[in-house]
Amino acid sequence: MSKSLICSCEDVTADDVRHAVSRGYCDVESVKRYTGFGTGICQGKSCLSAVAALLEKEKALKPAAVVPFTPRPPLYPTELRLLASAPVDESAPPLGGVPEAVEDYTPALRPTEPLPAKAKVVIIGGGIMGLALAYNLARAGETDVVVLERGYLCAGASGRNGGGVRMQWGTPALVELAKRSIDLMKGFARELGINVWLRQGGYLFMARTAAVAKKLERNVTLHNRFGVPTRLITPDAARDIVPGLTMKNCVAASFNPEDGVIFPWPFLWGYAQGARKLGVRVETYTEVKGFDLSGGQVRKVRTDRGDIACDTVVLASGAWSPEVAKLAGVQLPNEPHRHEILSTEPLKPFLGPLVSVLDSGLYFSQSMRGEIVGGMGDPKEPAGLNMGSTLRFVSRFAQALMEQLPHVGHVKVLRQWAGCYDVTPDNNPILGRTPGLDNLLQMSGFVGHGFMMAPAVAERMAKWMATGESDELFTRFSLRRFSEGSIEREDMIIG
Amino acid sequence: MNLEGENIPAVEGEPVACSLIAAGESMLARSVKYHRPRGPYCFAEACSHCLMRVDGLPNVYTCRTPAREGMKLERQNAFPSAKVDVFETIDWFFPHGLDHHEMFAGVPVVEKVMAKVARQLAGLGLLPKEPAPAPPPSRTLRTRVAVVGGGGAGLAAARVLTDDGVPFLLFERADHVGGRLANGAPESGAPAVEDVATLAPDSVHLRATALGLYDDEHGRYLAVGAWEPDGPRLLKVYAERFLLAPGGHPPTVPFENNDLPGVYAGRAASLLLRRHDVAPQVAALVGWGAELYALAALMEDRGVSVAAVVDLRAAPPPGAHALATQGSEPKAHGLHHVTAFSFATSSGERRKVACDAVLVSVPVSPSFELARQGGAEVGFDEARGLFRVVADADGRTKAKDVFVAGDVTGGGTARQAAEAGRRAARALVGGLS
Repeated sequence: MSKSLICSCEDVTADDVRHAVSRGYCDVESVKRYTGFGTGICQGKSCLSAVAALLEKEKALKPAAVVPFTPRPPLYPTELRLLASAPVDESAPPLGGVPEAVEDYTPALRPTEPLPAKAKVVIIGGGIMGLALAYNLARAGETDVVVLERGYLCAGASGRNGGGVRMQWGTPALVELAKRSIDLMKGFARELGINVWLRQGGYLFMARTAAVAKKLERNVTLHNRFGVPTRLITPDAARDIVPGLTMKNCVAASFNPEDGVIFPWPFLWGYAQGARKLGVRVETYTEVKGFDLSGGQVRKVRTDRGDIACDTVVLASGAWSPEVAKLAGVQLPNEPHRHEILSTEPLKPFLGPLVSVLDSGLYFSQSMRGEIVGGMGDPKEPAGLNMGSTLRFVSRFAQALMEQLPHVGHVKVLRQWAGCYDVTPDNNPILGRTPGLDNLLQMSGFVGHGFMMAPAVAERMAKWMATGESDELFTRFSLRRFSEGSIEREDMIIG
Repeated sequence: MNLEGENIPAVEGEPVACSLIAAGESMLARSVKYHRPRGPYCFAEACSHCLMRVDGLPNVYTCRTPAREGMKLERQNAFPSAKVDVFETIDWFFPHGLDHHEMFAGVPVVEKVMAKVARQLAGLGLLPKEPAPAPPPSRTLRTRVAVVGGGGAGLAAARVLTDDGVPFLLFERADHVGGRLANGAPESGAPAVEDVATLAPDSVHLRATALGLYDDEHGRYLAVGAWEPDGPRLLKVYAERFLLAPGGHPPTVPFENNDLPGVYAGRAASLLLRRHDVAPQVAALVGWGAELYALAALMEDRGVSVAAVVDLRAAPPPGAHALATQGSEPKAHGLHHVTAFSFATSSGERRKVACDAVLVSVPVSPSFELARQGGAEVGFDEARGLFRVVADADGRTKAKDVFVAGDVTGGGTARQAAEAGRRAARALVGGLS
């Protein structure tokens, strides 16, 4: 059948690019994500200029706004075993990272139409938190909402995570939220008209020490109390779930078949499109520059496209939250920490669950497209908004992954990237009112698991904002807890 | 070699995909989503048309894998076989494409079935069956100048560095130097390929692929995957200056059936002909720029019948091939292989010619990735419709230790690339302490 291919790795046609533009995705980064062009084996070598030229020629983009998507290492598909051959000094912190200055968006990408002069609610951050909140507010009848995003949708952690969703948490609040979120994800396509490819292949947690094994054991009791069917399993049972998995040095494992993986990007498009349909303004490439404050209230949000007077401001900026809060004179205890991740060549299905070694933070799963997607936290990672990629990460990850799955040595890495966790002192989010600035609401501090919490958190927050009914979530996780000392630490953090 | 039970003759060391074309086996795979027939296109590891399972390893670029006796080749992503693939029906059922975002979204039961089917259909190759042997440990090298690319620009720079006695290491992805001087359509005024034996000893590494321009606590370094006699080895190359002359990638030009087996990038066609003596019988050429006409001359010269030369941008220059004409809306025809090519003439009528290959010759897309990782600026060239590294006449970029030369800055002749390489080498030597 006649087709005009523009990206032959992913079978993307020139018409697919035009369709993305008709949906409002005009910049190269957004078109890449919406159509999938440039995400295949060649990583854009043969298609990028053709797509860019088409966008420019058909006036989807001004010439100055035609910038390439970020080129991710490695330049050519590279076997995990080769990357694993570089030594890693675990005693030193990971320094550097490429490419540099990836987040400088050219002003040519900024929309030219004016922002509204005022709005009831201004949400800062067009990640899944902000967009899900905007959609839920609009559904609750509050449509005078503006969402401000400094880049494209998916530019932050919401577009950079590994897509894991799980109910296996260590505290009741998170177990409940995650359970509700996964329920909402199941109905997402029906509600918002876009597939999110939830695949409930389970999460398999492995423990290497008695202390971590005890954690898993404690969790099973907790999970079962909330109706989550987590069970402790033997190494043999784990190998039945994941053929070829070595249980080297593992003393225990837990498995919840209802956990799974999703495709993160469509959640943002779905929430954004759903919110826009109800009247919400979602403004990309728009950066917050400051606030007008008086009488213990935020009066105006100042942006690089003009000011917006507002009744309520929601801070949902993920790892950028401390920076944005500082513009309002608010000190948040959050710290950004880089977390690196990679994706391999697409393979036919062989891996059901997301597997994680809780002791090291190693995690890996197989995406709906067949890629192995995985990461591993680095205990030496210093705080800072660094989203560069290092060889150290791919080497550490490849070594750890091959220890658990020796058959992947020849599997080739296609790209690596990084995002920032928004880390709080107790690994729990910051939600609710800001002491001293009554109409500034916090919605940050999700420590790398915000994506899977967002549907449920946004639902509760919209209800709390729209009805004024009290909800313990917004006192339990309020900013005050750090000064009042009533904290309960979450210890099931991976990646 | 063994292709799914059939014997394929091959010349030891030539690219596997080249042997297959010469043996008349041009359909090597089925595409990921629509299961369209695919054959080799770029011969530069820049697309995915030639991926096969080779000796039990999935998704191997056969366009750059040297043929060896007894090699086992399997086509991927097809059922029951690539020649008769029942999933080709996906392509026929969805003539206008398949929107995976919205198709069956939220339709009860159907969406669950679709998710299960999609999961089974996704992916290309199968996981290797055996654990991989560990490669030798990585090696760290330090030099004054690291050069990426052994084409006209990189070799000219290496000549300057050799003559000035500046230590350098040059990394070339292919098993030979020269780039388009060796593989492209011959250009008038092009310099001769430098004799590597006259360059500083042990400075030129062949089959050494630059993977990334990283940095760490010791500074900036190039990660290189080098093929050594005992297998692949990872090199970390720290240098005071990086001269990036990787050239460009053969781009996709969107037109109908541009992915049909028998459609080749122009530089792939010249490489096959010049290095391996493999050529179509009747070729239609389409594209724009000087290389299109040089390729037509090369084909004609070597006895290939040229059925059409269609310039999509401008009227043919004086002295162009007799059949050269300006045209638009090119289209490749054929079921599983090219049998014809058609285009709209400037008067608007469609003209169709029989051929067994369509050669797409357009300027390459600069390989700006490493330079961008190193902090150089990348701009869009509206007139040429491609991204290129922004540099001054001496190849200086925004990053003070990163220099560029050749096609990576936007294209030109081979002679210009060599001149740029020389200038950049002199400029960066001047800056060394």
